[in-house]
Amino acid sequence: MTDTIESPKTPEQSRFAKFWDSDFAWSFRHSPVAIVASAVVVLLVLAAIFAPLIAPHNPFDPATLNLMNGFTPPGTPNAFTQESFLLGTDDQGRDVFSTILYGMRISLFVGASAVLLAMIIGVILGLVAAYFGGWVETLIMRIADVQLTFPAILVAMLIFGIAKGVTPPEYRNEMAIYVLIIAIALSDWVQFARVVRGAALVEKNKEYVQAARLIGRGSIPIMFRHILPNVLSPVLVIATISLALAIIAEATLSFLGVGAPPTQPSLGTLIRIGQGFLFSGEWWILFFPSCTLLALALSVNLLGDWLRDALNPKLR
Amino acid sequence: MFAYIVRRMFQSVIVLLVVGLVAFSMFRFVGDPIDNMLGQERTQADIDRLRTELGLDQPFPVQYFKFLKGAVQGDFGVSYRQGRPVSTILIERAPATLELAFVSGFLAITMGIALGVFTAIRRQGVAANVIMTVSLLGVSLPTFLIGILLIYVFSIELGVLPSFGRGETVMIGSWSTGFLTTSGLKALILPAITLGLYQMTLIMRLVRSEMLEVMRADYVRFARARGLSDRVINFRHALKNTLVPVITITGLQLGSIIAFAIITETVFQWPGVGLLFINAIQFVDIPVMAAYLMLISVMFVSINLIVDLLYYAIDPRLRVDARAT
Amino acid sequence: MILRNSAIALAVLAATSAQAAEFKWASTTDPQTMDPHAVNSAPVLGFLNNVYEGLVRRDKDMSVEPALAVSWETIGDGEGWRFKLREGVTFHDGSGFDAQDVLFSYQRASGEAADTRSWFAPISEVTVVDDYTVDFMTTAPNPLFPSSIANWMIMDQGWTEANDAVVPDKETGNYATLNANGTGAFKVTAREPGLRTVLEPFEGWWDQAEHNITSAEFTPIQNPATAVAALLSGDVDMINPVPIQDVARLQQSGDVEVIQGIEARVIMLGFDHQAEVLKYTDDAGKPNPFRDPRVRKAVAQAVNVDAILATIMRGNAEAASQLVSPAMSGYSQANADRPAFDVEAAKALLAEAGHADGFSFGLKCPNDRYLNDEAVCQAVVSMLAQIGITAELDAMPVRNYWPELREDKYDMYLLGWSPGTFDAEHPVRFLVATPNEEKKLGSWNFGGFSNARVDELLPVIQSELDAGNRQAMLDEVAQIIQDEQVYVPMYVQPLVWGTRSTVDLTQRPDNFFLLRWVTVN
Repeated sequence: MTDTIESPKTPEQSRFAKFWDSDFAWSFRHSPVAIVASAVVVLLVLAAIFAPLIAPHNPFDPATLNLMNGFTPPGTPNAFTQESFLLGTDDQGRDVFSTILYGMRISLFVGASAVLLAMIIGVILGLVAAYFGGWVETLIMRIADVQLTFPAILVAMLIFGIAKGVTPPEYRNEMAIYVLIIAIALSDWVQFARVVRGAALVEKNKEYVQAARLIGRGSIPIMFRHILPNVLSPVLVIATISLALAIIAEATLSFLGVGAPPTQPSLGTLIRIGQGFLFSGEWWILFFPSCTLLALALSVNLLGDWLRDALNPKLR
Repeated sequence: MFAYIVRRMFQSVIVLLVVGLVAFSMFRFVGDPIDNMLGQERTQADIDRLRTELGLDQPFPVQYFKFLKGAVQGDFGVSYRQGRPVSTILIERAPATLELAFVSGFLAITMGIALGVFTAIRRQGVAANVIMTVSLLGVSLPTFLIGILLIYVFSIELGVLPSFGRGETVMIGSWSTGFLTTSGLKALILPAITLGLYQMTLIMRLVRSEMLEVMRADYVRFARARGLSDRVINFRHALKNTLVPVITITGLQLGSIIAFAIITETVFQWPGVGLLFINAIQFVDIPVMAAYLMLISVMFVSINLIVDLLYYAIDPRLRVDARAT
Repeated sequence: MILRNSAIALAVLAATSAQAAEFKWASTTDPQTMDPHAVNSAPVLGFLNNVYEGLVRRDKDMSVEPALAVSWETIGDGEGWRFKLREGVTFHDGSGFDAQDVLFSYQRASGEAADTRSWFAPISEVTVVDDYTVDFMTTAPNPLFPSSIANWMIMDQGWTEANDAVVPDKETGNYATLNANGTGAFKVTAREPGLRTVLEPFEGWWDQAEHNITSAEFTPIQNPATAVAALLSGDVDMINPVPIQDVARLQQSGDVEVIQGIEARVIMLGFDHQAEVLKYTDDAGKPNPFRDPRVRKAVAQAVNVDAILATIMRGNAEAASQLVSPAMSGYSQANADRPAFDVEAAKALLAEAGHADGFSFGLKCPNDRYLNDEAVCQAVVSMLAQIGITAELDAMPVRNYWPELREDKYDMYLLGWSPGTFDAEHPVRFLVATPNEEKKLGSWNFGGFSNARVDELLPVIQSELDAGNRQAMLDEVAQIIQDEQVYVPMYVQPLVWGTRSTVDLTQRPDNFFLLRWVTVN
């Protein structure tokens, strides 16, 4: 709907300048919340990607750990080893700062992959269900029911259990991350499917779709070229919430004992371990990973809020 | 309409059968119940004997069929852990979860819709933006951490609310309620907030975004042009039309409140079915796990059905489709 | 008349208000049954010791003292034991206790369906001599029999038969699963499995009550943080266990006290002694190095137990040199030293065994069984990495753990062992003796270690009446276990309970909490 009017700019103008002038970019430049949130997200993502370069230690290499470094408070030297750590160490003597960076890698990877997978499955199935109707719709929505019947965390727990049962033990730690992704994605796609279907059902009967059908367009182009762009707004709402949610879900699962392995902890695993030290005075083991998770999830959510408003032409 | 309902019911039954099958086939991976039932000085002969007695040595289809046959008659077998019929245990535990879910669901819906409408109407206002940002804090931390932090602040530091359990309960028939005692009501506060926070934020954001969209729609503009008051426009026209997606999501969220109760109940030692389920996993209490999953399935499928029917009632355009399918 | 009545009422009121106290406590596990013969596990036996009693009982220091029996003596040259029973004892429902109840309880507790029947393996026959005398004939001299039945609880024959609970039933449960009728200091007045259990003092108890409790309520709380919060906020009066890391903080709080002791449970690393090849390794088909005692010794020297105790256990545990703690009878003073922590010596041993380049293997570990078990395993992984061997850690809930061990799915594993008899013979029988299904030996010897001399000594130890000879043989076995490094004992797990400061109680090394020693001020 928005791409119908070509802006009367000279052709040699770069794509970037074009983008810079667009309503979307204008809205970004004038939203301090969006700028701060995206800066935080970019910063955290970069920190996660370049963790091996930034982190002073590699917490995933057991040979470099010294248990006597355990429970060192932030910024003060350890009583036995005299070593000092920016954000302190955890119960295993791991540098909390390094562990957060490496943990964030896992959390982000799990979250982003899970949402992407859930979105792909959900959008396709939702569109197909709405467009074709009939037994196809019935089948898909009944599968969705089955899926929905198993609450997200239960699905994840069961998938995790099965995967543990069928994978050879020597691959379990490697598998755990992928199992988490699949588990979270499988518990999440229904949201996309249902909302896309709901919106597409309404959209489907509108004149422009009827018109496209009349001029003999195939079903797949109609679904993806005509219906999809018009149901994207609710999908975006869900996707942004889902990204933050998936990261949080991973943390919740680790509370239930089915998260990333303790030798390669995610942010969620760190929080699960850290909550055991809430009353004991070693606040930093819980505090810093929680703050990182909060900053990450909050920024993603805020960015999502803004994106939704900015991408919705009706709201300008 | 009637035919539609009958068909949906039939489909729901098939869904339940599939859920039962999937759930049942997963149990073998959860662990082995035997070790929790025998002491340290057990021998391999004891293990084999108990396995036979529990019917765990039988092939999977036989076990599943036995379970289904009982379940149809409302008999979910006997808990390995407690040695009592599972149905008795579930009836005992259900009020705790339902009361908690009711209170937190009520909180989530009323607060969610109220705040959603407010933030939509005052879109540019400072208060609305503060509410939007603060509400996000609740969905940016895992539930268990929020629960533990609430306990830390309100039970330990301030000492005003109980740290665990349901407080005193009163029996009304076979229903134990915490609504009638002060300690019961106080005990509800922290778990209900913990459980409802996420749903509240979600409903609020959804109501706001739908409201904003509807308020820009032509018919609302017309209404405004006709000189209708803001109040009438906001509530009669705009809110009403945001309800379709809100009902979908809310309906689905009500189900996940029950599911997420697992976490909340674990943190607060709330004696409901969620805690029962977690204990059942811990002790590989297969009959309890199976019954819980079936029960949750029945509930979700019913919610699903109701949501679909409401959808059908609210949006007249869907009626044609419904008849066609 | 009216005056006198109210005066009495006042006096009663004064007496009760000075003494009376309600007591609430919490622990991680709910006793799964009220039937003392159905499940032989510490949470059940510990709880039921408040309700039921045996012929003998253990005092605060674990010494055996008379309970339902007033005295006992050997018959002849050790052919059996004769117990003289206490007269005038009644069960909670008012019926009397006599020798028939003992015989009935023996039949019930030693039957096919009872989980406690291994206790009675040495018994050939039980005969009632008169109403208050019972003879237990043993297949061989059995000096430890009286102390081995301290947790064998006596049930009332009439009550059990009337309620159709003659055979313990842990699969479907029966009347005795939910109800109790013992002779103990407390009776069960309300039982909601998994939620709460309420006990009240038994007025007709034969012994003098030391406690001042009017009612006691038990709640299981699984999440340790919630339990600590409940104790700090005063919602409960006692929790067991306190997470190790919270000990210091609780000690600083004025309202709460921490009671610590050494438990009987020794935490150790076990090996697969039988497998030809490593199962979880990067170099597939590599011969199993753990069959070589030098490699096992290297592991023992590489694990810095003192560091584990200082950090993860925060100084709340003691290093262990053998399979039992020094508090157990039969502990070998001669073998009290554990291998010194020495990375260089460990590396040298590895090189000598032909593994200078190290190897990788699978370490299995529970994550919800012992105090901080997962953290200890992680620490072991990094300590073994220092001598160049790579452990692939697989930590799992205990419900998955035992099946994996039974199916030999490990190269190395973590195990905790608490000797039910509080004697050094117990772990030898279960963990070291060559597995033998028929003789019920080595049922927890997952690794399949086998040593002819140990197998030869064990039956002699079991029937030796002379304490000196017995200890000499136990010393020899302990020596063999150390030389062979069958296991790597690391430490004795601590007992850490938390109470409100107003509560006085006694902590027994078997982690049993007995209400009859509780006073609330």
